[in-house]
Amino acid sequence: MLSRREFLKRSSLIATAPLIPGFIERTARAAEPGKDPILVVLEMTGGNDGLNTVIPYRDDAYHSLRPTLRFQGNQVVKVNDELGLHPIMQQLGQLLQQSKLAIVQGVGYPNPDRSHFESMDRWQAAEVTAKVSGTGWLAKSVPDLGKGKGGGVPVMHIGSEKLPLACRGTSQGVFTINQEQPFELKLGLPGSEEEATRKRLLADVAATGSDDKTDALLPFVQRRYLQTYTSVEKLKTILKDMTKEQARTGFGPGSLYAKFDLIGRLIEQGFGTRVFYTAIDGFDTHGNQAQTHQNLLQQIDQAVGYLFQRLQRTGDDARTLVMTFSEFGRRVAENGSKGTDHGSGSCMFVVGPGVKAGPVGHHPSLTDLTDGDLKHHTDFRRVYATLLENWLKVDSKMVLGEKFETMNFIKKA
Amino acid sequence: MSKDALPPLDKLDPAAEWAPWRPTKDQLWDAKWAAHLYRRAGFGPTKDELRTAVADGVEATVNRLFAPPKEARERPQVITGPPGVNPMTGMPDASRQGAILQAAWLQRCIDGVEPLREKMALFWHNHFATSIKKVNDGSLMEQQGELLFKHALGSFRQMLKEISRDPAMLVWLDSNQNVKSHPNENYAREVMELFSLGVGNYTEKDVKEAARAFTGWHTSGGRFSMVHGLHDSDPKTVLGKTGNWGGDDVLQILLEQPACAKFICRKLYHFLVNENLAPPDTFLGPLADAFRKSDYDITVPVRTILRSKHFYSAYAYREKVKWPIEYAVGVVRMIGVGVTGRITVNPYSLLGVMELMGQQLYAPPNVKGWEAGRAWLNTATVLARHNFAHSLVNGMGDLNEHAKKFNLQTFFPAVNPLAFVLKQGITDPAKIVDLYADLLLPGDFRSDVRSKLIAHIGDASPDTEVFAQRCRDALFVLLTVPEYQLN
Repeated sequence: MLSRREFLKRSSLIATAPLIPGFIERTARAAEPGKDPILVVLEMTGGNDGLNTVIPYRDDAYHSLRPTLRFQGNQVVKVNDELGLHPIMQQLGQLLQQSKLAIVQGVGYPNPDRSHFESMDRWQAAEVTAKVSGTGWLAKSVPDLGKGKGGGVPVMHIGSEKLPLACRGTSQGVFTINQEQPFELKLGLPGSEEEATRKRLLADVAATGSDDKTDALLPFVQRRYLQTYTSVEKLKTILKDMTKEQARTGFGPGSLYAKFDLIGRLIEQGFGTRVFYTAIDGFDTHGNQAQTHQNLLQQIDQAVGYLFQRLQRTGDDARTLVMTFSEFGRRVAENGSKGTDHGSGSCMFVVGPGVKAGPVGHHPSLTDLTDGDLKHHTDFRRVYATLLENWLKVDSKMVLGEKFETMNFIKKA
Repeated sequence: MSKDALPPLDKLDPAAEWAPWRPTKDQLWDAKWAAHLYRRAGFGPTKDELRTAVADGVEATVNRLFAPPKEARERPQVITGPPGVNPMTGMPDASRQGAILQAAWLQRCIDGVEPLREKMALFWHNHFATSIKKVNDGSLMEQQGELLFKHALGSFRQMLKEISRDPAMLVWLDSNQNVKSHPNENYAREVMELFSLGVGNYTEKDVKEAARAFTGWHTSGGRFSMVHGLHDSDPKTVLGKTGNWGGDDVLQILLEQPACAKFICRKLYHFLVNENLAPPDTFLGPLADAFRKSDYDITVPVRTILRSKHFYSAYAYREKVKWPIEYAVGVVRMIGVGVTGRITVNPYSLLGVMELMGQQLYAPPNVKGWEAGRAWLNTATVLARHNFAHSLVNGMGDLNEHAKKFNLQTFFPAVNPLAFVLKQGITDPAKIVDLYADLLLPGDFRSDVRSKLIAHIGDASPDTEVFAQRCRDALFVLLTVPEYQLN
């Protein structure tokens, strides 16, 4: 495998760079990717049924409120005498045995909103008011995240959906990539004279753009162009390797597995990115939930399991954590359509060798409810604050606007 | 005027801003402003439309956009029969129907017979955002599309009433699960949050009560069906009014709220004027008041906006990121021509690139519609726009390959945007560059870019392929300069 220095040297960005204006090239050259800790954020879109993800299998209330959707103690992946993971999550079970899985329970926020968009916005902006600002919590972390020796791309969004709010609101440092969209400029036959001519012309015109640092629309487009041109060259190689992996495994380019494969490669190659953001959609299971929910959890189980196996080979697993979240949990009682409606309060996973493994906090009561919903006991911003302060080394007050008490699920370095 | 110097909206006089604009000698009605109008009230002008608009003046051009077409135009039904079956799963799969629908709509936008009405149909499609990916039935999606087109410049009251019974909408928001014994709040919530009032203008209790009023509003066999046995006819209290309300009563209560007209006018402002500013209620007052007074005649605020001083000002000019459909259709309308000078791009060729740019018609990402604005441009979509422009100016060969997947047409004439220039015998690089810039970027062509493009064409001999290729390169750059990404 290439050393990081070797990779940078060989990368076509530095080798050819006709498309990259000088100042960006210099930035790239100066960037010697470090060993900084990395966070992978996985959004479970639609409202994950936390109660069938981390299951209180001994609780009679669980069995009576979930007559068709329940799991028995002999089915679940045991966490302890009270809790089990959904039976499909075998790999997460192994990670738990290896002390690499923390389960944060009873997470939510005050006065929960049951609209997907409102609630998702709050999680992504890390603000719990009705009108959130247009800046996401990861975007707000960019100033601190970018301080390290990274390559100028502290936050990367992996996927073909729109840039999520969590990453929006910063004019720099956030990139989107995905494999379905071949990440290349198609300007004629690769390597041909005409391709080179066109690249030069584009670079020439891009270089005349204004130096305007304001938030106005035109400078925004210009910055977006430069970010695009820079990353094109770097990613070519990685994407080529991924296609081979997919031919081997059979997972399609849009799959969560492929997204985690890409994340793994970017981490190994020392891209310098500190936070990766990706999403898996489909958790809005109002009807006939069982099969859908199992399929989704299986994808997560496979993707997360694979990522840590892969990173173990280079030792990069030790500096990587995965955090899952969803905009809300679901009602405790199932509905009449073998599904569940929007609720509040749910669980989060934090995965990686850097965690203190096991359940964090108690499972909320299934009988002491608010409007049919679990009562949360942990504000999600405490989870963020813990990851920001104790893992990413980011000033959490700058991001969250106030100081939250951190939690005890990260090992001391 | 420098954008930085613009006073905030709350410092402006709303009445003056929304008053009709009269061209002055400092701000003429010229190609710059005519193109601006056509970009917002349509999908960009063709060469001929631009010339006519400049000659006719602003008043006549706006009037023409609102006038019905001279000859009644047929809108043939494009979907017949049920969706196909996915051979992999054996399940119904409407993706092919979705492609047919998209292509038909794109073709109408390219034709530009009723550009404003198509543009407003897009606005309403984004407002009542429904996706074929869940509805999974092209006929229902086509029916909804026709409903939105019919009322696009008509009565919002009538549109809201019909959309609440629209089969695609009812499937989309799970209305068949809304029964007296287990109310499903999906439609009741979205009709308040996204379709009429906006967050903060109702309570959770209102949603619960309104859901009961819509119980029994179901679909059956692709039609609306009122199932009285599943309807809750007990009294409900919605937004402070108590009665044995049914769905129509709830809609009436929503339309009585002053928040409703404000909410729609705010969305119109973001769609037609500026997506970056947050206009205060007082600024939208004249629009919202007139909208309400007209009993929700959509043409009232739209016409006021498109005639206004505010619309022809730096507050609006290039203050929106082009939507993918605006980029694709606009480029095609302006330069997607063959040797005869007529548009030869087949709409099926655009489906793949539209998706790469982040927009599939009839398949918005969720009920909130497309995020739009700056979110349209990320590194992947910026690339997609570049690659599309490059394909188009170089003949569309690779894009047509995509269209052939649909087996609908096997021959696509090549696009040749240069032909009509060269046919006129124009060979001076500066003239060629200006001719395209006048069409694509009237009023926004930076002189340093201009000289680089002229230099690029250089002294190649006019009848050579090298010359033609360099002209195409220049055209490609015009379609990718940052200014061109702004609408």
